[in-house]
Amino acid sequence: MKSTRFTLLALTAASAAFLTGCATQNNAKYVDSQGPNTIVSLNSINIQDWNTAADKLVASLLASGVLERAPELPAVMAISRIRNNTQQQVDTDSLTKKIRIALNQTGKVVTTTTMGPDGRVEDAMAADAGAMGAFMAGQKQVTKLPYYTLSGKLLEDRVSVGSTKQVTYTFQLSLTTVKDGLALWEGEELITKQGQRSSVGW
Amino acid sequence: MKTLLPILAFAALGLTGCATSVNTVQRANPQATPSYVADQRVVTDTTLARKLSTVSVSEAKVSGNLLKIQVTLENRSTKPQAFTYKFDWIADDGMELSGPTGGWKQIQLEGREVRAISAIATNPRAVDFRLKVRENN
Repeated sequence: MKSTRFTLLALTAASAAFLTGCATQNNAKYVDSQGPNTIVSLNSINIQDWNTAADKLVASLLASGVLERAPELPAVMAISRIRNNTQQQVDTDSLTKKIRIALNQTGKVVTTTTMGPDGRVEDAMAADAGAMGAFMAGQKQVTKLPYYTLSGKLLEDRVSVGSTKQVTYTFQLSLTTVKDGLALWEGEELITKQGQRSSVGW
Repeated sequence: MKTLLPILAFAALGLTGCATSVNTVQRANPQATPSYVADQRVVTDTTLARKLSTVSVSEAKVSGNLLKIQVTLENRSTKPQAFTYKFDWIADDGMELSGPTGGWKQIQLEGREVRAISAIATNPRAVDFRLKVRENN
């Protein structure tokens, strides 16, 4: 009698576990954006790809020691053009913002938001307010010029054999000193994904 | 002959499996003098601990005041294995520091391969670290 009750209990527990498992697979749920259970797809740059690329590029830049060479710290950096040569429509801020935050945390670099490639500024109001303030005070506007610019390129390479597809995303960045136009640091990070279809988790 | 074929195929498969492990050559008397960190290990997955061992943990300061930690890992299996890992950084007051890039990362080790993973704390307040490693599903 005891063993029958035990078997029944075990069966009920197993069925409950099975049903719960099914429920979590089908229903929407929150996952950690930086965790290992995010979706991996072959047709786009996923959030973990941006994270990994930014992390490794920041580590490479910090380990190079070039940021210590600026005459004053924190050095001012402007974000130049990041070319997107992939087939994807991506916002390159997914990469540069992470790098900016990380460099800002180090206390060695601050980013200007009132200067950008082709005159396109990130914070137009700050630029206008600065100009207006200087005009009202009868002074020339003193904009802090960047010591560094950060430029780069995103590349994509696709190959397939049979039904197995492979995609490589290349993230290239250069840190240039404005005064002489020399690239003090250059970094490249490759992320390759292979498979037949997208999956959940790594 | 017909019975011999599956045996030969099986043997070939077995040999291919063995061939994935890595042979290495290095200097007999290494010149590097790493600054090793005395570490404390917490094992909750014994299967993972059997497959992956921590060879050493060393530290350095980069860019003046930023803590860099390097952990050398060894795949104890003869087959390639994929793992995910994550570094957490802790400030001098014991508070965990967050950063924009501190998520889980993947590493794939060939059979018996020894490789170092490293990370740099982007916050100069970081004095301690915690490395988490898990097996890929």
